[in-house]
Amino acid sequence: MLQVYLPIAEVSVNLFVMLGLGAAVGFLSGMFGVGGGFLLTPLLMFSGVAAPIAVATGANQIIATSVSGAVAQWRRGNIDLRMANVLIAGGAVGAMIGVVLVRLLRQIGQADLLISLTYVVFLGVIGALMLVESVRAIHKSRSGKPIPARRANTHNWIHGLPLKMRFPTSRLYISAIPPLLIGTVVGLLAAFLGAGGGFIMVPAMIYLLRMPTNIVIGTSMFQIIFVTAIVTLLHATFNHTLDAVLALILAAGGVMGGQFGVRAGLKLKGEQLRLLLALLVLGVAARLLLDLVLKPDDVYSVVPLFVDS
Amino acid sequence: MSSHRLAAILLALCCAARAEDPAPQETIQSDISTREISIQSNFTGIEILIFGSVDFSRTPAPDEGDFDVIAVIRAPDEPIVVRRKEKVAGIWVNGASETFPLVPGFYAVLASHPFRAIATEETLKALDIGYRNLDFAPGGKDDAKEVAFRSAVIRLKQQKNLFQEHDDGVSFIGRSLFRATVDLPVNVPIGRYTANVYLFRDGKLLGTNHSTLEVSKAGFERVIYLLALKRPFLYGLSAVAIAVLVGLLGWMVFRRE
Repeated sequence: MLQVYLPIAEVSVNLFVMLGLGAAVGFLSGMFGVGGGFLLTPLLMFSGVAAPIAVATGANQIIATSVSGAVAQWRRGNIDLRMANVLIAGGAVGAMIGVVLVRLLRQIGQADLLISLTYVVFLGVIGALMLVESVRAIHKSRSGKPIPARRANTHNWIHGLPLKMRFPTSRLYISAIPPLLIGTVVGLLAAFLGAGGGFIMVPAMIYLLRMPTNIVIGTSMFQIIFVTAIVTLLHATFNHTLDAVLALILAAGGVMGGQFGVRAGLKLKGEQLRLLLALLVLGVAARLLLDLVLKPDDVYSVVPLFVDS
Repeated sequence: MSSHRLAAILLALCCAARAEDPAPQETIQSDISTREISIQSNFTGIEILIFGSVDFSRTPAPDEGDFDVIAVIRAPDEPIVVRRKEKVAGIWVNGASETFPLVPGFYAVLASHPFRAIATEETLKALDIGYRNLDFAPGGKDDAKEVAFRSAVIRLKQQKNLFQEHDDGVSFIGRSLFRATVDLPVNVPIGRYTANVYLFRDGKLLGTNHSTLEVSKAGFERVIYLLALKRPFLYGLSAVAIAVLVGLLGWMVFRRE
């Protein structure tokens, strides 16, 4: 029993519970190859941390896990720096929009609600899609039929857009507008949900931009370090919602858990892993929804008056 | 309570004593077990002791009758917002709200008897004793909505142990010594607390005593708190740097190459 009082979140938590939470999320993210922010932020909210603080702190924690991953990717030459720069530029814009949104919603007392609702929608949709896809894949692999490879469109609407740029590492010559937009959405998600947004970005880069998969993962990890760093700085400066003590505990747990997760992930089949993750994601979404639908213990709540500094 | 109000009460006491009752009367002396409380990251709450005595030195012989003591410990006032959730399309949404500019961050009443039996409601109100007599300085008029929100503040603060009323919180040792303990919970606000101790006999206020208690964050806790509020950009930058270091450390320890 080692209680730690969190200075910004203003709750007292057990050090080992929070280390364990960081490690569990790190384990899952290592096992499934996802960032884990979209699980960590709701779990922090379940442990009594206010949503805006969970978001800022979650973003800070993502930096640590992404650095670990990105260094390894960097050494394998899997990062498209040019693409990352474009994504980060978009991400900075999205981050600013998200931080302002959190600030405005806090002032009118709706931040917790809208963050929860957005999570319910996102996790619900993604969880359901993954569930359907993984069940189909398991079914197909049992019936012995080969899984048909996705046929790549050689040309799509993206090639008609202006502002074309050359991305040598990805062997692409495409407009800068789609990556800028993807970056903006990811920045917005990071600032509003405290999630790295890999679950949106990786499919978008593979299917929309047609980047090579190995480059996608490295580049996504690399750019999210900068986007979450911007988000952390903005939240700390304008919303005072960053709890650095909590972030440090979670990061320490996360980095350790992540390594064991990677090893565990190697022992399980891809579609089984995706089924497990789908169920987990749906479980978190259901719990968040229940909290919104069930009558709260007390319909009244007291918060300090939001004072502009 | 402001020092002005305290001065006014003391003045009133002196005048009352001079006008009606020229005979010297008992006074009260008290102190707190600690003058400073430092909140560090291992802080889990603390019990403080308020002790004192009824001083008979100015009286030729103590009068008949029982003494009663009420102690009020309170933290500085702070502005708060109370929100009420309402069901909108099946979801509980924050709806109506009310702002109370002056709510004590911590407030405890300790008494040797049920305090409403010790003095009249007017006296208690003048001295800010009891939740009911606290004025949260609401902006609007005293309507039903405000009453509901006010009692919600009291209830929520009570649940967090930030508002306490203990009718048997003060115990006498013999006739003149008394002691009272109060638990400051883990989430106590920082600031200069005041402890006002009132001496009553037969419903009459005989004397008051005033002491202060400084609650502040200390050590690592203080550094983090000050940095986060006063130098938020530097704070954010350090948090980013630490996260990068933890990430690099994790990669170095666990790399498999």
